[in-house]
Amino acid sequence: MIEFKNVSASYDDETPVVDGLSFQISDGDFVAFVGTNGAGKSTTMRLVNGLLKPTCGQVLIDGTPTTSLRTSQLAQRVGFLFQNPDRQICCNTVRDELLFGFTAQGVDSAQAIPRVNEMIERFGFDGDAEPFLLNRGTRQLLALASIVVMRPPTIVLDEPTTGLDYRECTKVMDLISELHMAGTTVIMVCHDMEVVGDYAKRVIAMTASHIVADGPTFDVLRNSEVLQRAHLLPPQITDISMKLTEDVPELHQSSIACADTLQQMEDAIASRVEKEVR
Amino acid sequence: MAKFLEYVPGDSLMHRMNPVAKVLCALLISIACFCTSNLVFLCAVLAIDFALAASCHMTKQALGLAKAVAIFSIILALIALLTTSTGTQLVALPWGYIGTGSILAAITVVIRLVACAVPLFLVMYVTQLNDLANSFCKILHVPYKYAFTFTSAVHFIPVFMNDMSQIMQAQTARGVEFDCGFVKKIRLMAPLCVPLLISSVRKTNSAAIAAEVRGFNLRTRDSGFKEYPFTLVDVVCILACALLIVVAVALNVVLPGGTIFMNLLASF
Amino acid sequence: MIYLKDFSFKYAEHDNFALRDISLIIPDGCFVGITGAAGSGKSTLTYAMNGIIPHCYPGDFYGSVVVGSLDTVEASLTDISRLVGSVCQDIDSQMVSSVVEDEILYGLENFGVAKDEIPSRVSEALEAMGISDLRSRSIDSLSGGQKQKVALAAIIALKPRILLLDEPTAELDPASSFNVFSLLKNYATEHGMTVVVVEQKIALLADFADKLVIVDDGRIRFDGTPQEVLSHSDELLDIGVNVPRSTSLINRLRKRGLYRGAAVCDVADAVRVCKEVLA
Repeated sequence: MIEFKNVSASYDDETPVVDGLSFQISDGDFVAFVGTNGAGKSTTMRLVNGLLKPTCGQVLIDGTPTTSLRTSQLAQRVGFLFQNPDRQICCNTVRDELLFGFTAQGVDSAQAIPRVNEMIERFGFDGDAEPFLLNRGTRQLLALASIVVMRPPTIVLDEPTTGLDYRECTKVMDLISELHMAGTTVIMVCHDMEVVGDYAKRVIAMTASHIVADGPTFDVLRNSEVLQRAHLLPPQITDISMKLTEDVPELHQSSIACADTLQQMEDAIASRVEKEVR
Repeated sequence: MAKFLEYVPGDSLMHRMNPVAKVLCALLISIACFCTSNLVFLCAVLAIDFALAASCHMTKQALGLAKAVAIFSIILALIALLTTSTGTQLVALPWGYIGTGSILAAITVVIRLVACAVPLFLVMYVTQLNDLANSFCKILHVPYKYAFTFTSAVHFIPVFMNDMSQIMQAQTARGVEFDCGFVKKIRLMAPLCVPLLISSVRKTNSAAIAAEVRGFNLRTRDSGFKEYPFTLVDVVCILACALLIVVAVALNVVLPGGTIFMNLLASF
Repeated sequence: MIYLKDFSFKYAEHDNFALRDISLIIPDGCFVGITGAAGSGKSTLTYAMNGIIPHCYPGDFYGSVVVGSLDTVEASLTDISRLVGSVCQDIDSQMVSSVVEDEILYGLENFGVAKDEIPSRVSEALEAMGISDLRSRSIDSLSGGQKQKVALAAIIALKPRILLLDEPTAELDPASSFNVFSLLKNYATEHGMTVVVVEQKIALLADFADKLVIVDDGRIRFDGTPQEVLSHSDELLDIGVNVPRSTSLINRLRKRGLYRGAAVCDVADAVRVCKEVLA
């Protein structure tokens, strides 16, 4: 479990970038942080895995404050995927890249190699390929794989889909969703509200260093007052379903946010029409 | 919070002076420091330095700089201490002795370097890089290509430093412990040069193209929109600094204590 | 006007053609969105339009690309640049100055704009991008969205006939992305400027573009108004191009035989169509 207790942090000891954050993320949750650039989302992610220490308050990972954990201990508990995979990739082959984390954390290679091989197979990589010659989407997948291979109980993703096309984005997010199904806690920052609606279970909206909303995805995305305060637009599907509440009230009861619900909406409208005709 | 040697906005006299004049004045002050070993004179120059720094609200930065230069010059001071055997003997050495004169010589080295370095660095704090490059092109007829190379290089330093710190953060997140001894840290950082290099090659390449599609090749000495005329203040300042050299040289003639040439030798 | 005829290009260091048999006409004053999957060749297409191909990236060049009255192979990159203003993807590396005003001045100085005209050009460009208050700010201190607007203002000040942008909103949040696009659209309409923009965010393109060009595997797959192009939502998803959900919903209704009109591009239209269908 990750717990923020009245956490503030700043980069220059003067202006706080996040101010008085308090929330809990229990094991197995899938949380998306949303808000405009500069709202403090990325800073919050850095606080989660101890890259940044709070100037006041406490960040607890399973009850232990991040300030009293060593870098390698933190890395074992929380995996962190950066927005730009090129910041992270630094080895000459895909295989070395996947091994890098084990070496850094001092894990025995006999234990590491089977896991690396499993990853190569699962993601469909060429183990001997040079990472920098891969295309952007594959590099992002490699960066993700090199985190996942360490099997951290929690992964933090800073805008995992920026710069990816639709297909790559779906591939990355489906993998993350699989990890979540297998019990990994997922915390992500994401600007793409469609992705948030499709995948996240809970949404925390931030604006100007503060949390303005925290709740199940659909509740937050349907709350127009919160969205306005955080300068956000709801996913198109949610927006349409809300604007059709009068005509198709049943849309309002089901939690419509993600792509799967397109079918639901289609059916709901079709059955209404059929009823009218009859 | 301003970073090292980065322009700090302001409206002081030094901010408003002609960039070329600023650089010239700083150089003249530096030369003056090397023209004499008179400790009183050097201390006076140091005092002038800090008065200038105070005039443009840069005292904090100047103190930081002075400290850095002083630490750096300690090595030179040690050499001076061990090799100048003058004055009353204090400690005997196999090749001579450390005397009161040696201590004075060591102090002189430190003060001279600090006094001559501070104005040069101050110029960087009170001058926009663009103004510096443009005025050098306009007044001193430095070819624009060189000026651009210089400004881009300086411009890219913070960009690369930012890149490096992000790369290190990404590796820290994977469990690499950079908070260790110096040698080990260097060893850990070495492989990170690959991503840094790749991002720098990409960046410089796209920067070159971006400059070219904005007419880089058309730029001439007269292209600059801003003019950099010499004002009365600039001329007065240059003359004042030149006067410092005259004073320094005169001190050498009036007071005993080595020629310019010997001082230069001693200071290196 | 931009006119590509049977254009193919292969980068010197690659084995395969990046673009094949491209024929495309972009009329003056048109706001064109180009999109496609990663590696489809959409960035290469913009390089062909601003002369970076063949002038900076060598390779095999077939067919012809004419921008305004210039053939991009014969004209120099500098001459093409007078006509086509480009903003590339990496904003940080294209900044040459440390202060906003100097950044705007740079191109104006280089292209020899008359000195008495420069101050008004600077103010106009800053105003058009809504950043007059940032004039004397240091570029380092700006947010991503503000930097993007500075980069745009620096090009707009040059009054190019054509503006070419490569993923201008990649780093921006939805609110700033929308803001940048509306500023651009307003300026382009007012000044009759042609805008060509490569963008992944399909919903933005659907909102603002007059014409959508979909590139797939080095070829142009679709070319038409957003309504025309988006009516092929299944094919688009197939080649890795996202489709606004509002469009998908209405296309589903169409398939079901409930609706026969044109494809829609935004929420408002989708709601309107749904209400029509229900009524």
